[in-house]
Amino acid sequence: MKKAGIGLAMVMAALIAAPMLLTAVPSPAAEDLKIALVVPLSGRWARQGQLKKMGAEMAIAEVNAQGGIKSLGGAKIVLREADAGDSVEKAVSAAQRALTREKISAGIGSWLSSFTLGVTEVAERLEVPWFTLSYADSITDRGFKYTFQSSPVSSAQAEQALEQLVEIAKRNNQPIKKAAIIGDNTAATVFFFKPLREKLLKAKGIEIVVDEIWTPPLADATAIVQKLRSTQPDVVFYGATNFPDSIQVLQKVKEFGVKSPIQGVGAWLVTPEYVKAVGPELLDSIKAVVAAHPLKGQDELVKRFKERTGEPFMTQDPLMSYAHVWIIKEAAERAKSTDPKAIRDAVAKLDLTSGPAANALAPGRIRYDDHGRRIGAIPIIVQWQGGEPFTVAPTELATRKLVWQAGR
Amino acid sequence: MALGDLVQYVVTGLLVGGVYALMSIGLALIFGVMRVVNFAQGDFMMLGMYVTYFLTTAYGIDPLLGAVLIVPPFFLVGVAVHRVLLARVTGGGDPQRLMDTQLILTLGLSLIITNGATMLLTPMPRGIKTSYATQAFVVGPILMNEARSYAFLMALLLAGVVYVFLTRTDLGKALRAAADEPEAAGYQGIDVRAMHGLAFGVGIALVAAAGGLLATYHPIEPTVAVNFIVLMFVAVVLGGLGSIPGAFAGGLVIGVVQSLTLLVLPFQLQNVGVFIAFLLVLYLRPQGLFGQRLRTV
Repeated sequence: MKKAGIGLAMVMAALIAAPMLLTAVPSPAAEDLKIALVVPLSGRWARQGQLKKMGAEMAIAEVNAQGGIKSLGGAKIVLREADAGDSVEKAVSAAQRALTREKISAGIGSWLSSFTLGVTEVAERLEVPWFTLSYADSITDRGFKYTFQSSPVSSAQAEQALEQLVEIAKRNNQPIKKAAIIGDNTAATVFFFKPLREKLLKAKGIEIVVDEIWTPPLADATAIVQKLRSTQPDVVFYGATNFPDSIQVLQKVKEFGVKSPIQGVGAWLVTPEYVKAVGPELLDSIKAVVAAHPLKGQDELVKRFKERTGEPFMTQDPLMSYAHVWIIKEAAERAKSTDPKAIRDAVAKLDLTSGPAANALAPGRIRYDDHGRRIGAIPIIVQWQGGEPFTVAPTELATRKLVWQAGR
Repeated sequence: MALGDLVQYVVTGLLVGGVYALMSIGLALIFGVMRVVNFAQGDFMMLGMYVTYFLTTAYGIDPLLGAVLIVPPFFLVGVAVHRVLLARVTGGGDPQRLMDTQLILTLGLSLIITNGATMLLTPMPRGIKTSYATQAFVVGPILMNEARSYAFLMALLLAGVVYVFLTRTDLGKALRAAADEPEAAGYQGIDVRAMHGLAFGVGIALVAAAGGLLATYHPIEPTVAVNFIVLMFVAVVLGGLGSIPGAFAGGLVIGVVQSLTLLVLPFQLQNVGVFIAFLLVLYLRPQGLFGQRLRTV
């Protein structure tokens, strides 16, 4: 009996020790640089988190395959992902855990502006540089030193996108006189619509004929689309970030035969699952303003992404986290350190005009101002054509020519 | 507000409410017979949507037919879940403690199903592309979405079948006896435990069928249930806890109230209308629309 007890204890000890032995094998020549990716991996925004992860993983594989960070003796980059879940509280506690458990050199996340607002507070307190694609103006309005926002902010997107849109409409001899604003009340959408509603449209002499905002989920889209049908606006500014809501609206648009051109605000409208849910015909000619999308001359990058992931095309979410990893790599090269504070200072001084990061984002240059906003960031207008979204504006970066309301 | 518009809003609300009604009667049946509040009900609906989706994409089966085909397998799933899990925490013992255990069990089941589905099926939303989702029947000035109209009719049919089963068959009567007076039913030779299994099976099958119908026009993702579970509970309480016709009416009322709310309140407050109506009913008729008033001696 006693023997059996000792035997059992030895087996237990071996079992406990085994994982340690496995992980302790080669001690790395250089200290790894760890990047935290805090994005929704469960809940209703999990798909976006998954896409962001794909982009980050691709960039990390490339950096490591090309010899890692050279000024750090070929240090490899490793990704530490944390699930931001479906609420601000979960996102904040995920960031807190990820950043305190071990030394993290930089972070990326958390897609939804509301989440990013919370997560960047944690990063600021723990002094870890944080990169985000979220749009809301307030993210970089708080004077934080460690937050870097690579997208154009919502209000700037609204202004520049409207400018481009009015110009395109004029060129197509269909000037915009009446506009509709429909969408949910999530942070990025709210910040996009606010300047449109308060001044931008009026300044262009455009009348707002429908202005309807809802709290997701939308029970039924009939009433909204009915209003579009009866007022026939020349453009519909559209912000339904919740996929089921958006599908309902688009189905009703077809059912009611609404012909007004749709201008989406955000990259949620250009994901592959739209094609499967409503078919390419319904999407054709719908446009979206996004912060990043594959541009002219990026075919090679897109091809690599598609081969690696099996996704039908590349969009803002993977593209941005791809660029962010490369930005962190370049900053670490210059800082010659994995220390988050040193990397933050290097990012603040960064001015990249070539390389994978600069090539990924328009206008081909990476610099951040004192607020952490990327200087020169411009919105990209993307249009669905034949079941795939293409960059159509600005014209010099476009991969396809814009079609003004074809076939719908 | 023209009369035509008003009619349109009511019709739209009824069509939306039809599927809410079918979802809710499953929940009402389970509560009525077993006194179990099943938090995982919405997750079985989500599974119903996925199975219907796979039947459509893999075998080309129309989702309206798929929604009926999944009834028998989901009935068996329900019976099995009852046998393996719920039977351990129902029937006998301290009611308060049982209630706690049941809540934790069904809530835990819900979390496991949602997160399991996220892991296995990925969070990517899917949708069944049907021609009828974007077409409408035109009746004068009124538009009736085809997918919702079919779903409404199927919901009515399935609810009718359940009603006939409960009121006209011996098994249905035994089920109701087990619900009303478990002890006396036991004396009459009715196997109350088996009746619980039957109720749970039927309840799960119904909500899965509702999921299948919903899938004809609503996208499918692992977390889709959160959009509906609260409405299901409201419908069940609105109709009178445990009453099947009550839950059906409750579902329809929610659909119509949601739709009519838009006439007077902004979109952001769409569900506020539902909860105002809910509070009004609870205030004026605490036992629910079809509930029986409990008299204390």
